[in-house]
Amino acid sequence: MAKLGYLPKEKLTALLEALSKEQRLFVPCQAGDAVLFQQYDATKTPCLDRPATTPPKGIIFPQDDTLFTFTYHKDAEDLKKVSVELKENLDVAPTIIFGARPCDAKGFLIYDRPYTETDTPDPYYKKRRDMTAIMTLACPAPSPGCFCTSVGGDPADKDGSDVLITQLESGYLFESITEKGETILQNSLFEEGSSYQEQAQRTHEAVAELVRKPFQVTEELTQKVLSLFENDSFWEEEANKCISCGACTYLCPTCYCFNITDEQAGSSGERIRTWDACMFYHFTLEASGHNPRALKHQRLKNRVGHKFSYYPQKYDGAIACCGCGRCVRYCPVSVDISEIVAHAQEYTNDHGE
Amino acid sequence: MTIERLKEIVHKVLPDVDVVIGYRQGFDALHATPFFITKPEEVDELIWGPLCVHNLAAYLPSLTKNKKIAVIVKGCDSRTVNQYLQENLINRENTVIIGIPCSGVISVKKVLKGLGDQPIEAVSGDGDKITVTTSQGDKALSLSEVSPDKCRTCQYPTPLIYDHLAGDPISPDKPAESVYDDVREFEKLSLGERWHYWETELSRCIRCYACRNACPMCICQDKCIAESRDPHWMTQRLNGTEKLMYHMIHALHLAGRCVECEECTRVCPVEIPVAKIKKKINMEMAELFGYKAGVGVEDTPPMFTFKVDEEKIEEHEL
Amino acid sequence: MTTVNNPYLPELATITKIIEETPNIKSYQVVFDDQEKMGRFSFEPGQVGQLSVFGTGESTFVINSPPTRMEYLQFSVMKAGEVTGVLHDLAEGDQVGVRAPLGNWFPYEEMKGKKILFIGGGIGLAPLRTLILFMLDNRDDYDDITIIYGARTPPDLCYKDDLKDWEARADVNLILTVDAEYPEWDKRIGFVPTVLSEVAPSSENTVAITCGPPIMIKFVLQGLAQLKFKDEQIITTLEKRMKCGIGICGRCNIGSMYVCKDGPVFSLAQLKQIPPEL
Repeated sequence: MAKLGYLPKEKLTALLEALSKEQRLFVPCQAGDAVLFQQYDATKTPCLDRPATTPPKGIIFPQDDTLFTFTYHKDAEDLKKVSVELKENLDVAPTIIFGARPCDAKGFLIYDRPYTETDTPDPYYKKRRDMTAIMTLACPAPSPGCFCTSVGGDPADKDGSDVLITQLESGYLFESITEKGETILQNSLFEEGSSYQEQAQRTHEAVAELVRKPFQVTEELTQKVLSLFENDSFWEEEANKCISCGACTYLCPTCYCFNITDEQAGSSGERIRTWDACMFYHFTLEASGHNPRALKHQRLKNRVGHKFSYYPQKYDGAIACCGCGRCVRYCPVSVDISEIVAHAQEYTNDHGE
Repeated sequence: MTIERLKEIVHKVLPDVDVVIGYRQGFDALHATPFFITKPEEVDELIWGPLCVHNLAAYLPSLTKNKKIAVIVKGCDSRTVNQYLQENLINRENTVIIGIPCSGVISVKKVLKGLGDQPIEAVSGDGDKITVTTSQGDKALSLSEVSPDKCRTCQYPTPLIYDHLAGDPISPDKPAESVYDDVREFEKLSLGERWHYWETELSRCIRCYACRNACPMCICQDKCIAESRDPHWMTQRLNGTEKLMYHMIHALHLAGRCVECEECTRVCPVEIPVAKIKKKINMEMAELFGYKAGVGVEDTPPMFTFKVDEEKIEEHEL
Repeated sequence: MTTVNNPYLPELATITKIIEETPNIKSYQVVFDDQEKMGRFSFEPGQVGQLSVFGTGESTFVINSPPTRMEYLQFSVMKAGEVTGVLHDLAEGDQVGVRAPLGNWFPYEEMKGKKILFIGGGIGLAPLRTLILFMLDNRDDYDDITIIYGARTPPDLCYKDDLKDWEARADVNLILTVDAEYPEWDKRIGFVPTVLSEVAPSSENTVAITCGPPIMIKFVLQGLAQLKFKDEQIITTLEKRMKCGIGICGRCNIGSMYVCKDGPVFSLAQLKQIPPEL
């Protein structure tokens, strides 16, 4: 049975204070003109009225992360003899993400399949994932470019969250989704919330109505996108304005590609993992100079294909896009992935592919 | 009407080129998006107005090598074309320039900031005002309130180079000596304050390279030092040193080349005023060499020449 | 404390022997420093490993020694990029990291009782070598074994000791070729696909396994089709830039297929199902 707790607006700071004492607490904060998830302390200004510019994925999957450190030791007896020592880096502290949006929380579900539900789970991701609770704010309004309802989401989706928060007129309703969430709701700051449930429900429905719906996911979508694989002119037309930067991928809650590089200074160094983007030319560039995705339309095709065809083929039809709209909203030239998917559907309908 | 005149020109040049690059409406009423026109029936979708913020000239170097391209340029964008010609980066024979006099565009970010980042249902312009409609109703904003920094000191409302001009020339009405006022103002801060400012601003950088890839003059994108292992000058770390290094290299490679289109600032998803760094260098270049990039098609960028005696550089006595 | 089964953490290993195969290819025999782990280690022919030079990075190579000979693991490295360049500077006794085994392997069970045709070019013999040696160590399981192998010049032929050995064996039919005439070369002259057509092996009850430069593969596949080999009878291995080696990082995918995990071994029938992005 879900626990319901009500928190008057003026007690929000007290709640954040209390939560931040127990564990690392990340909250969307005003940072310049952007909103970024930052570790909460009294100096920060939480900003909950618009989705964070960057999703919270970096809290569980840091943009740069040390996989291990290495040190070269010279043998005292024989200076020519050098040995290497490796040290794994897997320190993780209990964490709460407060104020993610439902699409943000869903992003982690899309990560989970390749990162944890395999025979070679990723220990770095898994450990952080297990130790993080996600408190999600149901969207009080849609944002420019977002389209969660087209990809099976909802502005008040509970999937992937431990607590769902609904902003009401003079306070917030907190609903626990998981055991982790129930534990959080035991805090004495919460008042009994069941009488606010109906009001929350009405808010959810009103917001869902306002979300744009550029396309509809159908069972054939995966095959339709794939059927266009060799249709260069389709992809060239979709990609002609793309400038091949990484804004779409780095702001995407579901993009999970990465790079691994070694960095050494003196006799020691680190092997680090950093986000990487399939939109970059160098991403697939091989030492020989050969590049299987040398052209930008091939790269855009891979990005759209991965989300709407390859991933669903691998994972039971699940679409690897949560519809947050960040790639649309922040694209320097307004490439709209939802429009590309709609075009792919139209094209295959018209040409019978 | 400029738009009618513009469509007329596009219809006229379209048969002789592979593509005309202009603007059409994007995913919502506030966003325009670059539009690659290849068929006459597409011309009707063309739009023009304060939403047309992108510097479309930036597409030219990669396209004019083997295609004939017509591109719509505002006054500020035309400096890019001139600079490309100075640096021999485009094939003029393959380029048709459709100039469009411009009385200023908006900053999408500034509009959204004034509206709490809500989806925009409609935008209508009326002289120096725009009215923006959201689910919460209408809001009127004065253009000067939401204009990008570059428009506030605009010296080139009419394109400096064009083959066709869609509209009557507009004379500049902003004082030329005030262009670098913001830089001079910033320089009044102490070194510590300036350091703190950039440390804070750059801390948000996510190394997405939108600023680099949107920059018309950043021409070694696929071979950028920021991602290179050979030479290995930078790591992929996300710390302040690496971010500062990347932005400084970006800015220094643009010394005497930056055409002040401010695309770098416009496209930054985390709202870093990257163009400010370049503007400072531009000011120095103007003072030291009397040079402004992309203003004259016959000019030579100062870093492309060598003079034994520079008028304003004092040499050490040997 | 080290996490059990951290797929990113290499096993430390020492280079016990370096063989100069050709002017730009060296083979490295490595042994895990942890003897107990070396004893427990197992892999299948065709699987790959990531070799690490700490401070430079990792690169993917097939384990070209067979699982039937576990005294060491052998990798052959052609000098091409950053990691391979540094690997070429290493000496016997130096330490490297190894993440292995990764990926799939040759379906040797299904090949039992069949005639086997190996067609290799240059360093493309590496993945074939592991299977050839494995089959020779289980010789009775397979029918005729034919190996067509070529390189640009005689010095560019890899595994010269193996070649001598196979040439001497009565139960292996080795056909060597080089691209053009060369002093003291008394064997075939001509490109591998041409030699394939000249030799014209029967496709009956035969599996063809080929690896080499893309241009060679292209013409070998055409030649095999002319010899009436069906797509299911042709097996090859793919090479792609890889980082994680466990099907996540997104570099080596071709559509939904990850070469590092779902490959590198594919039948031509499988390859034809994958979108063409090589």
